[in-house]
Amino acid sequence: MEDLENEIRNLIAEIIEKEPREVTPDARFFEDLGVDSMMALEILAAMEKKYRIHIPEEKLTQLTTLRQTVAVAREFLDKKGQDA
Amino acid sequence: MLLEDKVAIVTGGTRGIGRAIVLRLARSGCDVAFTYLKSSQEADLLIREAGKLGRRVLALQADVRDFDQSRQLIERVKDDFGKLDILVNNAGITRDKALMMMTREEWLEVVDTNLNGTFNATRCAIVTFLKQKSGSIVNITSVSGVTGLPRQTNYSASKAGIIGFTKALAREVAAYNIRVNAVAPGFIDTDMIGSLKEEFREAIRKRIPLARFGSADDVSRVVEFMASDRASFITGQVVIVDGGLSIQ
Repeated sequence: MEDLENEIRNLIAEIIEKEPREVTPDARFFEDLGVDSMMALEILAAMEKKYRIHIPEEKLTQLTTLRQTVAVAREFLDKKGQDA
Repeated sequence: MLLEDKVAIVTGGTRGIGRAIVLRLARSGCDVAFTYLKSSQEADLLIREAGKLGRRVLALQADVRDFDQSRQLIERVKDDFGKLDILVNNAGITRDKALMMMTREEWLEVVDTNLNGTFNATRCAIVTFLKQKSGSIVNITSVSGVTGLPRQTNYSASKAGIIGFTKALAREVAAYNIRVNAVAPGFIDTDMIGSLKEEFREAIRKRIPLARFGSADDVSRVVEFMASDRASFITGQVVIVDGGLSIQ
C-alpha cells in the first residue's frame, strides 16, 4: 500500500517537476501544485505504462490529488488482478 | 513507401476525395479504416479494391455528427489495428443555396457534419495521440473556406471554421509531436462538381489558371504527403490544391 503511494508520488513529482515531499496525499493538483490538463494526462499515461493497465480517459477528471490518483490506480490494478 | 506500417482513419471514405485518400494511403503502406454513413455498396466495392493493395482495410458505418459513434470508431480501430497514427477528417456535405433561401436546417446540417464532425473525431483521437506523443491530423477544408463562394455561406463558414480549428489545435499540441494541417481542394472532378450544369462548369474551368478541374488523386497525394514524416516540420498550415484558382 505504502509502496504504491510512494511510487505514484515520485512519478507525479517527476512529471510536474516538484519535490516528492510537496506532493502530499491531499495537495490539490490544479490549485496547489500547478498541474495542467496535459500534465494530468501524462500522469495517467505514465501509470498505464508502469503498471501495464488501461485507465479510461473519463478517469482523468478524478486525478485531482495523490490520494485520488492512487485510488484510481488501485481500482485498475485490482481489475487487472481479477482478469489475470 | 511513405506510410509503411502506419494506421489511419479516413472519415467519409467511400466517395470522391475520401475514396481516393483511402486508396492512396493503402497504396502507401498504411492500414486504413474508413467510415461511411449510407453508401454501404460503395464501401463494399472500396474494400474489395483497396484489399488488393495488401494492407488491412476496414469499413465502419459511423456518423461523425454523433460523439459516441466517433468515440466507438476510434476505439474499434485501436482494438483492431493496435494503434492509430493518422486521422483524416474528410466527411463533408454541401447544401448550396443563396442565403436568402437557405433554411436553418440546411445551415445546421452542413455545420454539424463538416465542423462538428471534425471536432468529434479529433476530440476522440487526440488523447491517444497525446499519450503516444505522435500523430498527424489532416483536415479536408476547401477553397470555399479560404476565399468564400456564393451560395455556400454554410459550407464556406464550416470550412473556414475547420481552418481556425486546425491552426489553434496545431499550436496546442505541437509540444506533443502532433501535427495538424489542412488541405483545401478547389474544384475537383467528383460528384459534388458533376451535379453542376455544363455551362457553369465551363465558366469555372476558365477561371482556373491550370485550365482543368483537379482529380481526387491531385488531392490524395497532398494528403499522403502531409500525413507522412516527409512533412515533419509542417504544422498549422493550409495547402490549397486548386490549380491556381485562388492565387492572390
